Amino acid sequence: MLMTKEQYIESLRQMKTRVYMFGEQVENWVDHPIIRPSIECVGMTYELANDPEYADLCTAKSSYTGETVNRFTHLHQSTDDLIKKVKMLRLLGQKTASCFQRCVGMDAFNAMFSTTYEMDKKYGTNYHDNFNNFLKMVQENDFVVDGAMTDPKGDRGLAPNAQKDPDLFMHIVERREDGIVVRGAKAHQTGCINSHWHIIMPTQAMREEDADYAVAFATPTDADGIYMIYGRQSCDTRKLEEGADVDLGNAQFGGQEALVVFDNVFIPNEYIFMAGEYDFANMMVERFAGYHRQSYGGCKVGVGDVLIGAAALAAEYNGAQKASHIKDKLIEMVHLNETLYCCGIACSAEGQATEAGNYQIDLLLANVCKQNVTRFPYDITRLAEDIAGGLMVTMPAESDFNSDLVVGKNGETVGEICNKYFAAAPSCTTEERMRILRFIENMCLGASAVGYRTESLHGAGSPQAQRIMIARQGNLEAKKALAKNIAGIK
Amino acid sequence: MKCGVRFCGGCNPRFERGEVFRMYKREIPEIEFTYASEEDTYDTLLVIGGCQSCCAGYEQYDVKGDVIKLWDISQVETIKEKLIKLI
Repeated sequence: MLMTKEQYIESLRQMKTRVYMFGEQVENWVDHPIIRPSIECVGMTYELANDPEYADLCTAKSSYTGETVNRFTHLHQSTDDLIKKVKMLRLLGQKTASCFQRCVGMDAFNAMFSTTYEMDKKYGTNYHDNFNNFLKMVQENDFVVDGAMTDPKGDRGLAPNAQKDPDLFMHIVERREDGIVVRGAKAHQTGCINSHWHIIMPTQAMREEDADYAVAFATPTDADGIYMIYGRQSCDTRKLEEGADVDLGNAQFGGQEALVVFDNVFIPNEYIFMAGEYDFANMMVERFAGYHRQSYGGCKVGVGDVLIGAAALAAEYNGAQKASHIKDKLIEMVHLNETLYCCGIACSAEGQATEAGNYQIDLLLANVCKQNVTRFPYDITRLAEDIAGGLMVTMPAESDFNSDLVVGKNGETVGEICNKYFAAAPSCTTEERMRILRFIENMCLGASAVGYRTESLHGAGSPQAQRIMIARQGNLEAKKALAKNIAGIK
Repeated sequence: MKCGVRFCGGCNPRFERGEVFRMYKREIPEIEFTYASEEDTYDTLLVIGGCQSCCAGYEQYDVKGDVIKLWDISQVETIKEKLIKLI
Protein backbone atom coordinates (compact mmCIF):
# COMPACT_ATOMS: atom_id res chain seq x y z
CA MET A 1 0.00 0.00 0.00
CA LEU A 2 1.17 3.52 -0.73
CA MET A 3 -0.03 6.26 1.61
CA THR A 4 -0.61 9.74 0.27
CA LYS A 5 1.06 12.73 1.89
CA GLU A 6 -2.29 13.78 3.33
CA GLN A 7 -2.89 10.33 4.82
CA TYR A 8 0.59 10.39 6.31
CA ILE A 9 0.02 13.72 8.04
CA GLU A 10 -3.38 12.56 9.27
CA SER A 11 -1.80 9.35 10.62
CA LEU A 12 0.59 11.45 12.72
CA ARG A 13 -2.36 13.21 14.33
CA GLN A 14 -3.57 9.85 15.63
CA MET A 15 -0.33 9.30 17.55
CA LYS A 16 0.27 10.16 21.19
CA THR A 17 3.92 11.08 20.71
CA ARG A 18 5.30 13.15 23.60
CA VAL A 19 7.33 16.13 22.39
CA TYR A 20 9.02 18.86 24.45
CA MET A 21 10.47 22.14 23.23
CA PHE A 22 11.70 25.24 25.06
CA GLY A 23 10.92 23.53 28.36
CA GLU A 24 7.28 22.86 27.57
CA GLN A 25 5.23 20.01 26.15
CA VAL A 26 4.06 20.57 22.57
CA GLU A 27 0.54 19.18 22.32
CA ASN A 28 -0.15 19.85 18.64
CA TRP A 29 3.30 19.15 17.25
CA VAL A 30 1.97 18.33 13.77
CA ASP A 31 1.05 21.98 13.18
CA HIS A 32 3.82 23.58 15.20
CA PRO A 33 5.59 26.13 12.93
CA ILE A 34 9.06 24.91 13.92
CA ILE A 35 8.23 21.22 13.39
CA ARG A 36 5.83 21.31 10.44
CA PRO A 37 8.46 21.98 7.71
CA SER A 38 10.17 18.69 8.60
CA ILE A 39 6.84 16.87 8.33
CA GLU A 40 6.34 18.44 4.90
CA CYS A 41 9.77 17.14 3.97
CA VAL A 42 8.85 13.54 4.81
CA GLY A 43 5.53 14.19 3.08
CA MET A 44 7.48 14.62 -0.14
CA THR A 45 8.58 10.97 0.07
CA TYR A 46 4.89 10.06 -0.19
CA GLU A 47 4.03 12.66 -2.81
CA LEU A 48 6.72 11.56 -5.25
CA ALA A 49 5.96 7.86 -4.80
CA ASN A 50 2.42 8.60 -5.99
CA ASP A 51 3.56 10.65 -8.99
CA PRO A 52 4.15 8.67 -12.24
CA GLU A 53 7.00 11.03 -13.15
CA TYR A 54 8.98 9.88 -10.10
CA ALA A 55 7.54 6.45 -9.27
CA ASP A 56 10.34 4.52 -10.99
CA LEU A 57 12.75 5.74 -8.31
CA CYS A 58 10.40 6.18 -5.37
CA THR A 59 8.66 2.81 -5.47
CA ALA A 60 9.83 -0.80 -5.69
CA LYS A 61 8.39 -4.30 -5.73
CA SER A 62 8.33 -5.84 -2.27
CA SER A 63 10.59 -8.86 -1.98
CA TYR A 64 8.00 -10.29 0.42
CA THR A 65 4.76 -9.82 -1.51
CA GLY A 66 5.55 -8.53 -5.00
CA GLU A 67 3.34 -5.55 -4.26
CA THR A 68 4.40 -2.00 -5.03
CA VAL A 69 5.86 -0.35 -1.92
CA ASN A 70 7.58 2.91 -1.16
CA ARG A 71 11.28 2.41 -1.85
CA PHE A 72 12.02 3.75 1.63
CA THR A 73 10.59 0.48 3.01
CA HIS A 74 12.35 -1.78 0.51
CA LEU A 75 15.07 -4.41 0.90
CA HIS A 76 17.61 -3.94 -1.89
CA GLN A 77 17.44 -6.91 -4.25
CA SER A 78 20.18 -5.93 -6.71
CA THR A 79 22.83 -3.36 -7.48
CA ASP A 80 20.17 -1.64 -9.58
CA ASP A 81 18.12 -1.18 -6.40
CA LEU A 82 21.16 0.29 -4.65
CA ILE A 83 21.73 2.71 -7.52
CA LYS A 84 18.08 3.71 -7.61
CA LYS A 85 18.20 4.41 -3.90
CA VAL A 86 21.00 6.95 -4.45
CA LYS A 87 19.10 8.52 -7.33
CA MET A 88 15.92 8.72 -5.26
CA LEU A 89 17.78 10.47 -2.45
CA ARG A 90 19.28 12.96 -4.89
CA LEU A 91 15.79 13.65 -6.23
CA LEU A 92 14.39 14.21 -2.72
CA GLY A 93 17.26 16.58 -1.91
CA GLN A 94 16.47 18.54 -5.05
CA LYS A 95 12.79 18.80 -4.15
CA THR A 96 13.26 19.87 -0.51
CA ALA A 97 16.77 21.38 -0.12
CA SER A 98 16.65 19.75 3.31
CA CYS A 99 17.13 16.49 5.13
CA PHE A 100 14.00 14.44 4.37
CA GLN A 101 14.74 12.04 7.23
CA ARG A 102 13.36 8.78 5.91
CA CYS A 103 16.58 7.17 4.62
CA VAL A 104 17.74 6.25 8.11
CA GLY A 105 14.90 3.75 8.49
CA MET A 106 15.59 2.19 5.10
CA ASP A 107 19.25 1.79 6.01
CA ALA A 108 18.30 0.20 9.34
CA PHE A 109 15.96 -2.27 7.57
CA ASN A 110 18.67 -3.48 5.25
CA ALA A 111 21.31 -3.78 7.96
CA MET A 112 18.89 -5.51 10.34
CA PHE A 113 17.69 -8.00 7.70
CA SER A 114 21.14 -9.41 6.98
CA THR A 115 22.50 -9.20 10.53
CA THR A 116 19.53 -10.97 12.16
CA TYR A 117 19.87 -13.73 9.55
CA GLU A 118 23.47 -14.36 10.51
CA MET A 119 22.71 -14.08 14.24
CA ASP A 120 19.99 -16.71 14.00
CA LYS A 121 22.35 -18.96 12.06
CA LYS A 122 24.90 -18.85 14.87
CA TYR A 123 22.64 -18.80 17.92
CA GLY A 124 19.37 -20.37 16.74
CA THR A 125 17.46 -17.27 17.77
CA ASN A 126 14.30 -16.05 16.11
CA TYR A 127 15.29 -12.48 15.35
CA HIS A 128 15.16 -12.76 11.57
CA ASP A 129 11.52 -13.90 11.60
CA ASN A 130 10.72 -11.14 14.09
CA PHE A 131 12.27 -8.60 11.80
CA ASN A 132 10.61 -9.94 8.65
CA ASN A 133 7.19 -9.78 10.30
CA PHE A 134 7.91 -6.24 11.43
CA LEU A 135 9.06 -5.06 8.00
CA LYS A 136 6.08 -6.67 6.25
CA MET A 137 3.84 -4.67 8.57
CA VAL A 138 5.81 -1.50 7.79
CA GLN A 139 5.52 -2.08 4.04
CA GLU A 140 1.82 -2.85 4.21
CA ASN A 141 1.15 0.37 6.10
CA ASP A 142 3.81 2.53 4.39
CA PHE A 143 5.11 3.66 7.78
CA VAL A 144 8.01 6.00 8.47
CA VAL A 145 10.57 4.35 10.76
CA ASP A 146 13.40 6.12 12.54
CA GLY A 147 16.60 4.08 12.55
CA ALA A 148 18.17 5.06 15.88
CA MET A 149 21.80 4.25 16.54
CA THR A 150 23.60 7.07 18.36
CA ASP A 151 23.71 6.85 22.15
CA PRO A 152 24.72 9.89 24.21
CA LYS A 153 27.89 7.89 25.12
CA GLY A 154 29.00 9.97 28.13
CA ASP A 155 32.74 9.63 28.74
CA ARG A 156 34.12 8.47 25.39
CA GLY A 157 37.07 6.86 27.14
CA LEU A 158 34.88 4.39 28.99
CA ALA A 159 32.98 1.31 27.85
CA PRO A 160 29.17 1.30 28.22
CA ASN A 161 29.27 -0.81 31.40
CA ALA A 162 31.94 1.43 32.96
CA GLN A 163 30.00 4.70 32.67
CA LYS A 164 29.16 6.44 35.92
CA ASP A 165 25.57 6.70 34.71
CA PRO A 166 24.56 3.37 33.08
CA ASP A 167 21.80 5.06 31.07
CA LEU A 168 24.25 6.87 28.81
CA PHE A 169 24.06 3.81 26.58
CA MET A 170 20.73 2.10 25.80
CA HIS A 171 20.52 -1.09 27.81
CA ILE A 172 18.31 -3.90 29.02
CA VAL A 173 17.25 -3.35 32.62
CA GLU A 174 14.90 -6.32 32.94
CA ARG A 175 14.37 -9.58 31.10
CA ARG A 176 10.86 -11.03 31.30
CA GLU A 177 9.16 -14.10 29.87
CA ASP A 178 7.28 -11.92 27.37
CA GLY A 179 9.96 -9.37 26.53
CA ILE A 180 12.55 -6.92 27.83
CA VAL A 181 12.52 -3.52 29.53
CA VAL A 182 15.03 -0.99 28.20
CA ARG A 183 16.34 2.34 29.46
CA GLY A 184 18.57 4.99 27.93
CA ALA A 185 18.38 7.51 25.11
CA LYS A 186 19.24 8.06 21.48
CA ALA A 187 20.67 11.44 20.54
CA HIS A 188 20.49 13.50 17.31
CA GLN A 189 17.55 11.43 16.05
CA THR A 190 16.64 12.66 12.61
CA GLY A 191 12.93 12.58 11.88
CA CYS A 192 12.13 10.81 15.13
CA ILE A 193 9.03 12.82 16.02
CA ASN A 194 7.27 12.28 12.72
CA SER A 195 8.13 8.59 12.52
CA HIS A 196 5.48 5.98 13.27
CA TRP A 197 8.00 3.48 14.63
CA HIS A 198 11.58 3.37 15.82
CA ILE A 199 14.21 0.71 15.19
CA ILE A 200 16.88 0.82 17.86
CA MET A 201 20.38 -0.46 17.19
CA PRO A 202 23.52 -0.63 19.33
CA THR A 203 25.78 2.37 18.87
CA GLN A 204 29.17 0.62 18.67
CA ALA A 205 30.98 -2.72 18.92
CA MET A 206 30.35 -4.36 22.30
CA ARG A 207 32.27 -6.78 24.53
CA GLU A 208 30.95 -9.56 26.73
CA GLU A 209 30.73 -7.28 29.75
CA ASP A 210 28.49 -4.97 27.68
CA ALA A 211 26.04 -7.70 26.69
CA ASP A 212 23.05 -5.85 28.14
CA TYR A 213 23.94 -2.92 25.89
CA ALA A 214 23.88 -5.10 22.76
CA VAL A 215 20.20 -4.58 22.11
CA ALA A 216 18.11 -4.00 18.99
CA PHE A 217 14.35 -3.77 18.70
CA ALA A 218 11.38 -1.96 17.19
CA THR A 219 8.87 0.10 19.10
CA PRO A 220 6.02 2.46 18.27
CA THR A 221 7.12 6.08 18.62
CA ASP A 222 4.37 6.76 21.12
CA ALA A 223 4.99 3.70 23.32
CA ASP A 224 4.67 4.21 27.07
CA GLY A 225 7.89 5.67 28.47
CA ILE A 226 9.20 7.28 25.25
CA TYR A 227 9.46 11.07 24.94
CA MET A 228 11.44 13.50 22.83
CA ILE A 229 13.18 16.79 23.47
CA TYR A 230 13.44 18.85 20.31
CA GLY A 231 16.85 19.96 19.02
CA ARG A 232 17.34 23.68 18.40
CA GLN A 233 18.43 24.81 14.97
CA SER A 234 20.10 28.02 13.94
CA CYS A 235 17.50 30.77 13.32
CA ASP A 236 14.68 28.42 14.40
CA THR A 237 12.56 31.09 16.09
CA ARG A 238 12.26 33.01 12.82
CA LYS A 239 9.58 30.40 12.12
CA LEU A 240 7.57 31.77 15.05
CA GLU A 241 7.53 35.33 13.67
CA GLU A 242 4.15 36.41 12.42
CA GLY A 243 3.87 36.26 8.63
CA ALA A 244 7.47 35.06 8.24
CA ASP A 245 8.23 34.05 4.68
CA VAL A 246 11.26 35.56 2.96
CA ASP A 247 13.38 35.61 6.11
CA LEU A 248 12.96 31.85 6.50
CA GLY A 249 14.87 31.16 3.30
CA ASN A 250 13.06 27.86 2.95
CA ALA A 251 9.54 28.32 4.30
CA GLN A 252 8.31 24.94 3.07
CA PHE A 253 10.81 22.34 4.19
CA GLY A 254 13.32 21.55 6.92
CA GLY A 255 14.99 18.80 8.89
CA GLN A 256 14.42 17.66 12.45
CA GLU A 257 16.46 16.14 15.25
CA ALA A 258 15.64 15.37 18.86
CA LEU A 259 16.82 13.48 21.91
CA VAL A 260 14.66 10.36 22.26
CA VAL A 261 14.40 9.15 25.84
CA PHE A 262 13.46 5.57 26.80
CA ASP A 263 12.24 5.61 30.38
CA ASN A 264 11.83 1.90 31.18
CA VAL A 265 10.10 0.95 27.95
CA PHE A 266 8.70 -2.57 27.56
CA ILE A 267 9.55 -4.33 24.31
CA PRO A 268 7.51 -7.48 23.54
CA ASN A 269 9.46 -10.52 22.30
CA GLU A 270 8.17 -10.24 18.73
CA TYR A 271 9.87 -6.86 18.28
CA ILE A 272 13.28 -7.86 19.65
CA PHE A 273 16.09 -8.24 17.07
CA MET A 274 19.09 -8.54 19.42
CA ALA A 275 19.26 -9.00 23.18
CA GLY A 276 22.76 -9.72 24.40
CA GLU A 277 24.49 -11.12 21.28
CA TYR A 278 27.31 -8.61 21.74
CA ASP A 279 29.51 -10.19 19.06
CA PHE A 280 27.01 -9.05 16.38
CA ALA A 281 26.81 -5.42 17.50
CA ASN A 282 29.77 -4.47 15.34
CA MET A 283 28.30 -6.15 12.25
CA MET A 284 25.05 -4.26 12.69
CA VAL A 285 26.85 -0.95 13.18
CA GLU A 286 29.15 -1.43 10.19
CA ARG A 287 26.36 -2.45 7.86
CA PHE A 288 24.03 0.33 8.92
CA ALA A 289 26.85 2.89 8.73
CA GLY A 290 27.84 1.61 5.30
CA TYR A 291 24.33 2.03 3.91
CA HIS A 292 23.98 5.41 5.53
CA ARG A 293 27.34 6.58 4.16
CA GLN A 294 26.08 5.57 0.72
CA SER A 295 22.91 7.60 1.36
CA TYR A 296 24.90 10.79 1.71
CA GLY A 297 26.19 10.33 -1.83
CA GLY A 298 22.60 10.98 -2.93
CA CYS A 299 20.82 13.31 -0.51
CA LYS A 300 23.63 15.84 -0.06
CA VAL A 301 24.12 15.90 -3.82
CA GLY A 302 20.47 16.82 -4.33
CA VAL A 303 20.67 19.59 -1.76
CA GLY A 304 23.93 20.69 -3.39
CA ASP A 305 22.14 20.88 -6.75
CA VAL A 306 19.72 23.42 -5.28
CA LEU A 307 22.48 25.44 -3.61
CA ILE A 308 24.45 25.60 -6.86
CA GLY A 309 21.31 26.81 -8.61
CA ALA A 310 20.78 29.41 -5.92
CA ALA A 311 24.37 30.64 -6.22
CA ALA A 312 23.99 30.94 -9.99
CA LEU A 313 20.79 32.94 -9.52
CA ALA A 314 22.47 35.18 -6.94
CA ALA A 315 25.22 35.87 -9.46
CA GLU A 316 22.62 36.80 -12.08
CA TYR A 317 20.69 38.97 -9.65
CA ASN A 318 23.91 40.73 -8.64
CA GLY A 319 24.71 41.26 -12.34
CA ALA A 320 27.95 39.30 -11.94
CA GLN A 321 27.14 36.18 -13.93
CA LYS A 322 29.53 36.98 -16.79
CA ALA A 323 32.60 37.35 -14.58
CA SER A 324 35.03 34.53 -15.35
CA HIS A 325 35.79 33.83 -11.69
CA ILE A 326 32.07 33.42 -10.97
CA LYS A 327 31.72 30.95 -13.81
CA ASP A 328 34.76 29.07 -12.54
CA LYS A 329 33.38 28.91 -9.00
CA LEU A 330 30.12 27.47 -10.28
CA ILE A 331 32.07 24.89 -12.26
CA GLU A 332 34.01 23.98 -9.10
CA MET A 333 30.75 23.57 -7.17
CA VAL A 334 29.36 21.23 -9.83
CA HIS A 335 32.63 19.29 -9.89
CA LEU A 336 32.58 18.79 -6.13
CA ASN A 337 28.91 17.86 -6.08
CA GLU A 338 29.14 15.35 -8.92
CA THR A 339 32.22 13.79 -7.29
CA LEU A 340 30.04 12.95 -4.30
CA TYR A 341 27.45 11.46 -6.64
CA CYS A 342 30.15 9.38 -8.38
CA CYS A 343 31.03 7.81 -5.02
CA GLY A 344 27.38 7.11 -4.20
CA ILE A 345 26.84 5.41 -7.55
CA ALA A 346 30.16 3.56 -7.43
CA CYS A 347 29.64 1.96 -4.02
CA SER A 348 26.18 0.89 -5.21
CA ALA A 349 27.32 -0.54 -8.55
CA GLU A 350 30.00 -2.56 -6.70
CA GLY A 351 27.46 -3.91 -4.21
CA GLN A 352 26.98 -7.61 -3.51
CA ALA A 353 24.44 -9.99 -2.04
CA THR A 354 24.54 -10.74 1.68
CA GLU A 355 24.02 -14.24 3.07
CA ALA A 356 20.42 -13.28 3.75
CA GLY A 357 19.89 -12.30 0.12
CA ASN A 358 19.54 -8.53 0.18
CA TYR A 359 22.26 -6.37 -1.35
CA GLN A 360 24.79 -4.27 0.44
CA ILE A 361 27.12 -1.62 -0.85
CA ASP A 362 30.87 -1.86 -1.26
CA LEU A 363 31.99 -0.77 2.19
CA LEU A 364 35.30 0.79 1.15
CA LEU A 365 33.70 2.95 -1.53
CA ALA A 366 30.80 3.91 0.75
CA ASN A 367 33.26 5.12 3.37
CA VAL A 368 35.23 7.06 0.76
CA CYS A 369 31.90 8.56 -0.31
CA LYS A 370 31.09 9.76 3.20
CA GLN A 371 34.64 10.97 3.83
CA ASN A 372 34.25 13.28 0.83
CA VAL A 373 30.85 14.36 2.14
CA THR A 374 32.54 15.52 5.36
CA ARG A 375 34.46 18.03 3.23
CA PHE A 376 32.85 19.00 -0.04
CA PRO A 377 29.59 20.56 1.22
CA TYR A 378 31.77 22.92 3.27
CA ASP A 379 33.65 23.90 0.12
CA ILE A 380 30.38 24.26 -1.77
CA THR A 381 28.85 26.52 0.91
CA ARG A 382 32.02 28.63 1.00
CA LEU A 383 31.77 29.14 -2.74
CA ALA A 384 28.04 29.89 -2.50
CA GLU A 385 28.71 32.53 0.15
CA ASP A 386 31.54 33.93 -1.95
CA ILE A 387 29.23 34.33 -4.95
CA ALA A 388 26.26 35.58 -2.92
CA GLY A 389 28.18 38.38 -1.21
CA GLY A 390 27.98 39.69 2.32
CA LEU A 391 24.44 40.95 1.93
CA MET A 392 23.14 37.45 2.70
CA VAL A 393 24.05 38.11 6.35
CA THR A 394 23.67 41.90 6.62
CA MET A 395 20.33 42.40 4.88
CA PRO A 396 17.48 44.03 6.84
CA ALA A 397 14.45 41.99 7.81
CA GLU A 398 11.53 41.23 5.55
CA SER A 399 9.42 43.51 7.77
CA ASP A 400 11.79 46.40 6.97
CA PHE A 401 11.31 45.87 3.26
CA ASN A 402 7.54 46.00 3.82
CA SER A 403 7.55 48.88 6.32
CA ASP A 404 5.45 52.00 5.74
CA LEU A 405 7.23 53.94 8.46
CA VAL A 406 8.29 57.32 7.07
CA VAL A 407 11.97 58.06 7.66
CA GLY A 408 13.15 60.22 4.74
CA LYS A 409 13.06 64.00 4.34
CA ASN A 410 10.92 63.56 1.25
CA GLY A 411 8.54 61.14 2.91
CA GLU A 412 10.35 57.91 1.95
CA THR A 413 9.41 54.86 4.01
CA VAL A 414 11.79 52.29 5.47
CA GLY A 415 10.49 49.86 2.84
CA GLU A 416 11.16 52.27 -0.02
CA ILE A 417 14.67 52.96 1.25
CA CYS A 418 15.45 49.24 1.53
CA ASN A 419 14.09 48.57 -1.92
CA LYS A 420 16.05 51.53 -3.33
CA TYR A 421 19.43 50.58 -1.87
CA PHE A 422 19.20 46.83 -2.29
CA ALA A 423 18.06 46.84 -5.90
CA ALA A 424 20.53 45.20 -8.28
CA ALA A 425 20.30 43.82 -11.82
CA PRO A 426 17.08 44.60 -13.75
CA SER A 427 16.49 40.86 -14.24
CA CYS A 428 15.05 40.60 -10.73
CA THR A 429 13.00 42.48 -8.20
CA THR A 430 14.58 43.43 -4.90
CA GLU A 431 12.35 40.86 -3.22
CA GLU A 432 13.55 38.11 -5.54
CA ARG A 433 17.15 39.01 -4.75
CA MET A 434 16.35 39.01 -1.05
CA ARG A 435 14.63 35.62 -1.39
CA ILE A 436 17.58 33.90 -3.02
CA LEU A 437 20.07 35.41 -0.55
CA ARG A 438 17.96 34.30 2.42
CA PHE A 439 17.69 30.87 0.82
CA ILE A 440 21.49 30.63 0.61
CA GLU A 441 21.75 31.87 4.19
CA ASN A 442 19.31 29.15 5.26
CA MET A 443 21.43 26.41 3.69
CA CYS A 444 24.85 27.76 4.63
CA LEU A 445 24.28 28.89 8.20
CA GLY A 446 20.56 28.82 8.97
CA ALA A 447 18.18 26.00 9.86
CA SER A 448 19.08 23.85 6.84
CA ALA A 449 22.81 24.09 7.59
CA VAL A 450 22.11 21.52 10.30
CA GLY A 451 21.46 19.03 7.53
CA TYR A 452 23.80 20.27 4.83
CA ARG A 453 26.88 21.11 6.87
CA THR A 454 27.18 19.59 10.35
CA GLU A 455 25.16 16.51 9.44
CA SER A 456 27.52 16.07 6.48
CA LEU A 457 30.40 16.08 8.95
CA HIS A 458 29.01 13.97 11.79
CA GLY A 459 25.92 12.20 10.41
CA ALA A 460 26.49 8.50 9.57
CA GLY A 461 29.69 8.74 11.60
CA SER A 462 32.29 11.45 12.08
CA PRO A 463 35.28 11.62 9.69
CA GLN A 464 37.53 9.43 11.82
CA ALA A 465 34.98 6.60 11.72
CA GLN A 466 35.31 6.47 7.95
CA ARG A 467 39.09 6.57 8.12
CA ILE A 468 39.09 3.52 10.40
CA MET A 469 36.94 1.66 7.86
CA ILE A 470 39.12 2.86 4.98
CA ALA A 471 42.17 1.56 6.84
CA ARG A 472 40.48 -1.82 7.34
CA GLN A 473 39.27 -2.13 3.77
CA GLY A 474 42.11 -0.38 1.96
CA ASN A 475 43.98 -3.57 0.99
CA LEU A 476 47.38 -2.03 1.69
CA GLU A 477 49.26 -5.33 1.62
CA ALA A 478 48.15 -5.99 -1.94
CA LYS A 479 49.30 -2.51 -2.93
CA LYS A 480 52.72 -3.18 -1.39
CA ALA A 481 52.90 -6.43 -3.33
CA LEU A 482 52.18 -4.56 -6.55
CA ALA A 483 54.99 -2.14 -5.88
CA LYS A 484 57.42 -4.92 -4.94
CA ASN A 485 56.61 -6.85 -8.09
CA ILE A 486 57.31 -3.96 -10.45
CA ALA A 487 60.31 -2.71 -8.48
CA GLY A 488 61.86 -6.16 -8.53
CA ILE A 489 61.79 -6.72 -4.76
CA LYS A 490 61.55 -10.36 -3.69
CA MET B 1 -3.61 3.18 -30.65
CA LYS B 2 -2.73 2.90 -27.01
CA CYS B 3 0.68 4.07 -25.82
CA GLY B 4 1.82 3.51 -22.24
CA VAL B 5 4.27 6.04 -20.90
CA ARG B 6 6.91 5.21 -18.31
CA PHE B 7 9.13 7.91 -16.82
CA CYS B 8 12.53 7.46 -15.27
CA GLY B 9 12.60 8.72 -11.69
CA GLY B 10 13.92 12.14 -12.65
CA CYS B 11 16.97 12.44 -10.36
CA ASN B 12 18.84 14.87 -12.61
CA PRO B 13 16.84 15.40 -15.82
CA ARG B 14 18.32 17.46 -18.62
CA PHE B 15 14.89 18.52 -19.87
CA GLU B 16 11.31 18.79 -18.62
CA ARG B 17 10.12 15.20 -19.08
CA GLY B 18 6.51 15.87 -18.16
CA GLU B 19 6.29 18.68 -20.70
CA VAL B 20 7.33 16.31 -23.51
CA PHE B 21 4.60 13.88 -22.44
CA ARG B 22 1.99 16.65 -22.37
CA MET B 23 3.14 17.97 -25.75
CA TYR B 24 2.75 14.54 -27.37
CA LYS B 25 -0.72 14.18 -25.85
CA ARG B 26 -1.65 17.58 -27.23
CA GLU B 27 -0.11 17.22 -30.68
CA ILE B 28 -0.92 13.56 -31.42
CA PRO B 29 -4.54 13.23 -30.28
CA GLU B 30 -4.93 10.07 -32.39
CA ILE B 31 -2.82 8.17 -29.86
CA GLU B 32 -4.17 7.39 -26.41
CA PHE B 33 -1.25 8.20 -24.09
CA THR B 34 -1.57 6.96 -20.51
CA TYR B 35 0.78 6.38 -17.62
CA ALA B 36 1.89 2.76 -17.95
CA SER B 37 0.15 0.30 -15.63
CA GLU B 38 0.75 -3.40 -15.11
CA GLU B 39 -2.98 -4.03 -15.35
CA ASP B 40 -3.15 -2.87 -18.97
CA THR B 41 -1.83 -3.88 -22.41
CA TYR B 42 -0.28 -1.37 -24.80
CA ASP B 43 0.35 -1.20 -28.52
CA THR B 44 3.57 0.60 -27.80
CA LEU B 45 5.47 1.86 -24.77
CA LEU B 46 7.22 5.21 -24.59
CA VAL B 47 10.01 5.39 -22.00
CA ILE B 48 10.97 8.97 -21.18
CA GLY B 49 14.32 9.28 -19.43
CA GLY B 50 15.86 12.51 -18.20
CA CYS B 51 19.39 11.63 -19.31
CA GLN B 52 21.17 9.15 -21.53
CA SER B 53 21.18 6.38 -18.92
CA CYS B 54 17.38 6.22 -19.40
CA CYS B 55 17.25 3.93 -16.38
CA ALA B 56 13.50 3.44 -16.02
CA GLY B 57 12.39 -0.15 -15.53
CA TYR B 58 9.71 -1.25 -18.02
CA GLU B 59 9.97 -5.06 -18.31
CA GLN B 60 6.89 -5.39 -16.12
CA TYR B 61 4.54 -3.97 -18.76
CA ASP B 62 2.59 -5.88 -21.38
CA VAL B 63 3.51 -4.33 -24.74
CA LYS B 64 2.42 -5.77 -28.09
CA GLY B 65 4.65 -3.58 -30.24
CA ASP B 66 7.78 -1.46 -29.89
CA VAL B 67 9.32 0.07 -26.82
CA ILE B 68 10.46 3.56 -27.77
CA LYS B 69 13.05 5.30 -25.62
CA LEU B 70 13.52 9.06 -25.42
CA TRP B 71 16.31 10.53 -23.29
CA ASP B 72 17.33 13.76 -25.02
CA ILE B 73 15.39 16.81 -26.07
CA SER B 74 16.88 16.50 -29.58
CA GLN B 75 14.94 13.24 -30.06
CA VAL B 76 11.51 14.78 -29.50
CA GLU B 77 10.70 15.49 -33.16
CA THR B 78 12.11 12.23 -34.52
CA ILE B 79 10.16 10.19 -32.01
CA LYS B 80 7.04 12.23 -32.68
CA GLU B 81 7.31 11.24 -36.35
CA LYS B 82 7.92 7.62 -35.37
CA LEU B 83 4.82 7.63 -33.18
CA ILE B 84 2.70 9.17 -35.94
CA LYS B 85 3.84 6.44 -38.35
CA LEU B 86 2.57 3.83 -35.92
CA ILE B 87 -1.00 5.12 -36.06
